[in-house]
Amino acid sequence: MEFLGYYQGIILKELLRHLEIIAISIPISLIVSVPLGFYISPRPKLAKFVIYITSILMTIPSLALFGFMVILLAPFNLGLGMVPAIIAIALYSLLPITRNTYIGLNQVPQGMIEAAKGMGMSSKQILWKIKIPLSIPVIMAGIRNAIVLGVSVATFASLVAAGGLGFFIFAGIGRSNLKMVLVGAILVSALGIGVNYFLLTVEDWVTPKGLKIKR
Amino acid sequence: MIELINVTKRFGEKVAVNNLSLNIEKGKLTMLIGPSGCGKTTTMRMINRLTQYNKGDIKLNGVSINKIDPVKLRRSIGYVIQEIGLFPHFTVYDNIATVPRLLKWDEKKIKKRVEELLDIVTLDINFAYKYPLQLSGGERQRVGLARCLGADPEVLLMDEPFGAIDPINRLKLQDSFLEIQEEIKKTIVFVTHDINEAIKLGDKIAIIKDGSLVQYDDPAEILANPANKFVEKLLGQERSIKALSLKKTKDFILKDNFVTVSDEETEREITKKLQEKKANIAFVLDKDNKLIGRYWLEKSKKNEQVEINFDDSPVFAERNNTLSETLSTMLGSGEKLLPVVNRKKIFVGIIKLNNIFEEVNK
Repeated sequence: MEFLGYYQGIILKELLRHLEIIAISIPISLIVSVPLGFYISPRPKLAKFVIYITSILMTIPSLALFGFMVILLAPFNLGLGMVPAIIAIALYSLLPITRNTYIGLNQVPQGMIEAAKGMGMSSKQILWKIKIPLSIPVIMAGIRNAIVLGVSVATFASLVAAGGLGFFIFAGIGRSNLKMVLVGAILVSALGIGVNYFLLTVEDWVTPKGLKIKR
Repeated sequence: MIELINVTKRFGEKVAVNNLSLNIEKGKLTMLIGPSGCGKTTTMRMINRLTQYNKGDIKLNGVSINKIDPVKLRRSIGYVIQEIGLFPHFTVYDNIATVPRLLKWDEKKIKKRVEELLDIVTLDINFAYKYPLQLSGGERQRVGLARCLGADPEVLLMDEPFGAIDPINRLKLQDSFLEIQEEIKKTIVFVTHDINEAIKLGDKIAIIKDGSLVQYDDPAEILANPANKFVEKLLGQERSIKALSLKKTKDFILKDNFVTVSDEETEREITKKLQEKKANIAFVLDKDNKLIGRYWLEKSKKNEQVEINFDDSPVFAERNNTLSETLSTMLGSGEKLLPVVNRKKIFVGIIKLNNIFEEVNK
């Protein structure tokens, strides 16, 4: 308690910084991965390749990825700070969002698309009126996964001098201060759980009513 | 109305439809039948340009469909497929309103049309705001039919619309469908693989094998003179009994010699009425003439007193049942006389076993 009182200001600052990193990196990832998912959805061969590449990105250990960023960006004088952290998290989010966009669009039953086409909907109308509403729950689930994953990966941001809740964990380790490590770990977990819960609500809200009905 | 002229369609090396010519007549229900993979669905899909043919031409009202924008063409043709393809995120109302909205009708007109269509397919107005997942298979089928009638197209294409429905509900849907067609008189192309369905529903049957037309005629003619062994085999055994399927119950309805009572009359009044008319069955109708029950007189086993009995769900025949369906209902229930109703369960008369036997003996 004493600890919390003492660090109150810093906790709030690092929490906000943690959220800031996510809030910048996820939209960047969305700009790339959602259109990418749409583009590969009717191209199964390309889709397989793209998803393969993005899943390789995800197998790189987070610590190593941050390391790469630092080295690769160093020549541009961007090796430390927000930039490497944001790029690393954006790369990590590519797979869940691209993959779920692809799956979401392709799980719309062929019969339904045939019916829409047969009734005289243009390709654009089929996309906006049928495919997107029916795949939005799956796409949202991908975005939620990416964000929750981002919350935990962003812990490493403090290692590249970007700050965030990782500060407590790594500073705690450095000083053999168990309390500090615990506070950091609990804050990261709590943030992850909270964000997940909030996004589940959003997911439910964007799911068309007709799909939520249980027979 | 729709002319297919020497149409050929290839998928790679495989010839799906081979030099097929067919003249589909206005206002007729034309059945396309054949084994799976024979090209019947491809033939149908070429009519609304979901599949593009390689050779030949298809004319709609004398105009080659290649000269019509495919999206416009499809909006003018109703289309139903086996899985129906109702949009789960649309209410029943929005589903039925799909094509009218694509055609930018105003909402007042759409509302009127949706209500009208729900009535035609005998769904209560409350269904309008339900979602497809809340409906039974039969109800979804009705919505699918209503949806394809949305903008009142001249032509309907139906690809095994009753294929996924259980046999009992399928018969019911066929009956309502025939009755609806009597009212709307659309030009319908209907794909099926069920010969009984083809005989029951079709004004004309086109039998297709390996992408070619084998025989095209009305059902009676096909049953009487099958073109070749293949058609004979398709028709199967018992052709004389199948011929009973050509006759509809509605042509054998008797309009007199029965007693109907309202649901307000007492048993005593009904007994008296029956005894006066020397009848022993009375059908109970509500104020809309809907059949809601049946009274019958029976001699009690203990004494010789006459007792009156009531049944609130009497066995009945629908006017579009084939004679063979009505016959099996009669044999199944042990009744020699059945009330006949239409798809809205409105009483239209009776049918007697004797009349069916007379028909068989002809």
